[in-house]
Amino acid sequence: MNEVTAFWILAAIAVIGALVAVKKRNLVHGVFALLVFFAGLAGLFLLLLAEFIAVVQILVYAGAVGILILFAIMLTDRVTGKDSFRITSRGSFWGAIVAVSVFLIVLFPTIQEIPQVENPTASAEIVEKSSVKSLGQKLIQPYVVTLEILALLLTAALIGAVTAAQGGKTEEKEVLE
Amino acid sequence: MNWDLIKDILLATVPLLVIFPTMFALTTWVERKALARIQNRIGPNKVGVPLTPYGGKLSLFGLGQPAADGIKMLFKENIVPSGADRLFHLLAPILSLIPAMLVLCFLPLDFPWLTGEQDSVKAFMLDGAVIFFFAITGLNTLAVFMAGWASRNKYSLLGGMRAIAQMISYEIPLVLSAVIVVMIVGSLNAHDIAKEQAGWKWFVFTPWGLAAFVIFFISSLAETNRSPFDLPEAESEIIAGYFTEYSGFKFALFFLGEYIAMFAISGLAVTLFLGAGDGPGIAAYPWLNVIWFLTKVFILIGVMIWLRGTLPRLRVDQLMSFAWKFLMPLSILNIFVAGFAWHAQNTNNPNEETSLTIRIVIWISALIILYTAAKGLDQVNRSKIKPRTYKYGE
Repeated sequence: MNEVTAFWILAAIAVIGALVAVKKRNLVHGVFALLVFFAGLAGLFLLLLAEFIAVVQILVYAGAVGILILFAIMLTDRVTGKDSFRITSRGSFWGAIVAVSVFLIVLFPTIQEIPQVENPTASAEIVEKSSVKSLGQKLIQPYVVTLEILALLLTAALIGAVTAAQGGKTEEKEVLE
Repeated sequence: MNWDLIKDILLATVPLLVIFPTMFALTTWVERKALARIQNRIGPNKVGVPLTPYGGKLSLFGLGQPAADGIKMLFKENIVPSGADRLFHLLAPILSLIPAMLVLCFLPLDFPWLTGEQDSVKAFMLDGAVIFFFAITGLNTLAVFMAGWASRNKYSLLGGMRAIAQMISYEIPLVLSAVIVVMIVGSLNAHDIAKEQAGWKWFVFTPWGLAAFVIFFISSLAETNRSPFDLPEAESEIIAGYFTEYSGFKFALFFLGEYIAMFAISGLAVTLFLGAGDGPGIAAYPWLNVIWFLTKVFILIGVMIWLRGTLPRLRVDQLMSFAWKFLMPLSILNIFVAGFAWHAQNTNNPNEETSLTIRIVIWISALIILYTAAKGLDQVNRSKIKPRTYKYGE
């Protein structure tokens, strides 16, 4: 009973947040609505006992990605949170079709395949499986090569980003001197 | 209705909601007094407790000042600029208080005299308490941005942008120095970390722990916008930064949020490095746990106040280069030092105590490595920092 109520409240928060994020013309309001959506999603993960995913959801999406979008808005001249700028979206029809087909082809069969658990909180096995500890052990033992490759890729991307951002700086200095 | 659950929740949350705001009131008085003494003033000394309605009072060194301030804040006019975004202007102070209050529950504070049992606050014994702490304190940045943006004032916006840049930069050395403790303990649970340090095995008594504690403390000053890193609210440059346009109770909420965040991050520093509730007499009287914990937090706050009265404010470029070019490499190096030191201590006999000579060798070599690294980084950075040049003024 309690979990079902919590689920519906969190689901409502997430859906309303997502709708406001899409519909709001004011970009900064939209970003904060998106953050509400992320927070609702983190709550849903927490309800599913996926503690780590929930915290990563807050850390990465609500924290880092939100700030990133805000920075992008602040650094862009023409969108400064004024309502008068209308961001037109063309092809929303095709977007809707893609969304519905993704739901029907990918998500719906997956939902159908999951066995129904009567009381997920009571199952100690699920708690054990989703704990931070087992996740860490999985990352270090069977998936260590994947982890290393990902780390290497991310480092390369980071160095690439720094190089790209530094771009013309050396020439600029020469001009100044 | 499950009354036991409600009782447990109340027992776990109400003490936090009583203790920390009370400490906040006390701290504002201590801070004003201490700053006044450092600047050769007297500070608040008039407001006391009135004894009779017609006069006569107990002055108590001005201890009534926080209460008077609180009443003043409550009755001040709430001014919202005409161009401001009214909704966000209202939400920002609330959003700045919520994460600060929320993270208090991840600190390993038990109240045995209230609950009777030692582990009655199981509700908050999350496995990932340390990551939760960092994730939720990270949301504070959003509140600061919201306040700066919603005020529609260029000084507010400048303060907000400064705050975001600073908080993001200093979060990295903060987390990297906390990672060391997590790595050594092998758990993200704050209670496990506290248990590991029981019996004077505080992590600050190890070379890597000492270095990590110093880095953590410096970064926590920047995270909470405390002096000498209080650029987001630099009075001489941008009025009051992101809360320039705030008055009355909204300003009080910002103020409260800032101090609660200070307590929370000092509490995490105490948990990670200063042995949480460990202290003399803890074995005989377990209830001393909370007393020692809060005492240590208060000592850290005292150091913060002392620094505020002593150090001048940093420049923006110094602030950024200090985080990225000094603290971050040093904390990454410290992770390696901690790993090597831990292995050197544990290779011989896991059951036996490490001999004194090995400990001394580890201490000296680790400190030499960290010291030379710090000196080297300082040399490298210092050559690049040039005195400020003024474009429009002499």
